Amino acid sequence: MWPAGSGPVRVMSDLEMRGQDVRLEGMSITYPNGFTAVQPTDLHVRAGEFFSILGPSGCGKTTILRAVSGFVEPSAGRVLIGGVDQSGIGPNIRPTALIFQNLALFPLMPVWENVAFGLEARGMSKRKRRERAQQLLDLVALGDQCDKLPSELSGGQRQRVAIARALAVEPAVLLLDEPLSALDLKLRQHMRAELREIQKKTGVTFIYITHDQGEALTMSDRIAVMNAGVVEQIGTGDEIYSRPVSAFAASFVGEVNAFHGRIAAVEAGMARIDTAAGSLLGRNPGGLGVGAPAILFVRPELMAFGDHANAFSAALVRRDLEGAFINYAFRTADGQSLTLHQTNHGSPAPVSDTARIGFAPEAGIILPEGPMARTGQELAVQ
Amino acid sequence: MTSHRLLSTYTWAFLIFMFAPLVLMVLSSFNDASPPTVTEWHGLTGKWYAFFWMSDDALRADPVLRALDRGRLVACMGNSLRVAAVVVPLSLLLGLAGAVLLTRWRTRANGVLWWVLLSPMLAPGVVLGLSALVFWGRLGVNAGLVTIIMAQVTFIAGYPMLILMARLQRQPIELEEAALDLGATPLHVFRRLTLPYLAPALISAGVIALMASLENYNTTMFAKGGACTLATEIGAMGRNPNGHPPVINAIGTVIIAVTVLAALAHTFLLSREKKAS
Repeated sequence: MWPAGSGPVRVMSDLEMRGQDVRLEGMSITYPNGFTAVQPTDLHVRAGEFFSILGPSGCGKTTILRAVSGFVEPSAGRVLIGGVDQSGIGPNIRPTALIFQNLALFPLMPVWENVAFGLEARGMSKRKRRERAQQLLDLVALGDQCDKLPSELSGGQRQRVAIARALAVEPAVLLLDEPLSALDLKLRQHMRAELREIQKKTGVTFIYITHDQGEALTMSDRIAVMNAGVVEQIGTGDEIYSRPVSAFAASFVGEVNAFHGRIAAVEAGMARIDTAAGSLLGRNPGGLGVGAPAILFVRPELMAFGDHANAFSAALVRRDLEGAFINYAFRTADGQSLTLHQTNHGSPAPVSDTARIGFAPEAGIILPEGPMARTGQELAVQ
Repeated sequence: MTSHRLLSTYTWAFLIFMFAPLVLMVLSSFNDASPPTVTEWHGLTGKWYAFFWMSDDALRADPVLRALDRGRLVACMGNSLRVAAVVVPLSLLLGLAGAVLLTRWRTRANGVLWWVLLSPMLAPGVVLGLSALVFWGRLGVNAGLVTIIMAQVTFIAGYPMLILMARLQRQPIELEEAALDLGATPLHVFRRLTLPYLAPALISAGVIALMASLENYNTTMFAKGGACTLATEIGAMGRNPNGHPPVINAIGTVIIAVTVLAALAHTFLLSREKKAS
């Protein structure tokens, strides 16, 4: 999308900004109707970090964003930006810029005035504003669209105008509220890379709100997984994907096979769990004790054909070709459904109606029983 | 009779009831007969219009027109315009304030406020006129143009408020939040975003307020004291037991012509705006 030789890398040198850290200290938000959108939360977003807050809709992630930008006052606790308590400081004073989900471009102003709006509010002269807007629009490869109205641009172009407009005020923290959700898939994937690049070059702290785990995993330095107003886990994408700490984090990020049961035996970081599908061995990072209700999670790509320490005889329900992967759905005689993702090696795997499948103990992770993310099927019937 | 024919008969009857009196009024304004009639055609004339600018001699020579007080009628017209010149900006200002309050400042009192601000539109006009008269009388203001203005504004401000509210509700709140977030003061946001967005609605609201002010009779009647407006004066002339002078028909015809022209202009501008966007 960037013309060769232009793009963020070249122009960014005069667009370097200074990111600041954001700290939530015991912050909770309860709305006047009594609904607590955010339970008391401690969170530290480092300066210059690309930080994502990942969670299903209604989990409170947008409320956190609005509290950082100043549109919502915390009911308890504090928000600090660059070490400065933001209590009583309005959104027009805070060193933050927010990119709204619907972008909120000003429909009656040409593109360059949109970008220059924050500078206009700061009393910069029209000539300088125009110059700066041009510079920022060049940065997002829209230098020749200055005088168009937002309605004359495509979705991806509008997206980039919103980014330029937010960067124009040289924020220390850029807050993004699912800004890619309205774009189609190809453009969305492209914009992920663009956003990441802009973040790196400007050094601005990004706090990115999304319900799309793919976005969070590909772009972020660190991710906070949120559910029902509670931050369940904070960590890098790798940590959250491979070492989830809660049933929700495990089931919301990526696909999982889940086996509900009770801990039967514990030994050196591992545990045996009795489930309807049999007695299974897995990692026990939380040190759960014997008798505790627990769930064993295994990623579908860690399942394999053949005999393993944990193995099942299961009937094939479906085989879906997904390009690089082949996704198998199985069901055991006990009614446990299993999914298995296998790299597509090109040779059509001859699969009989039943197969032996399983996983190594190290592939399974045992976590305390708790609420899981809703599956696509559950969301569809809602 | 099929329901379709019933419906079209009803529609035609409705249109005839609505427009036939207007057509008769326009026709009789060109008939050289007083009181106005269309059944007896006395010849085409423009004198009911020319009344307003003919010379004093010509005026005295006409048996019908010489009975009319031209100076007073023109003065009353002037009063109407003077009243409207205050009522329109005042109701736009109040209506705008009310609309912003009700759409942007969500409080628990909004439901009550809504009814308080709109109740004058529903209250009988005579009550408004009378209450303005009593209230301002107590404050030592004699009934006249001031009381007319105050009485009219109380209910006319409701029209702009409703029109502007409808428009404001369609503007996503995120636009204003985005502007605030970019560092603009609320005043700057209002001037650069809200006001330009409201401009077309402000014009419509202004026209409607102007119409409401010019044509108001009942409220004005009670609040006017010794003063007069075009509407009250026409009312007075119309009560003449010998039939009203056709000059009133001429005024009515001009008002209709202006209204139709304004509506056409509005439609034209609207279609051009649509083409442009």
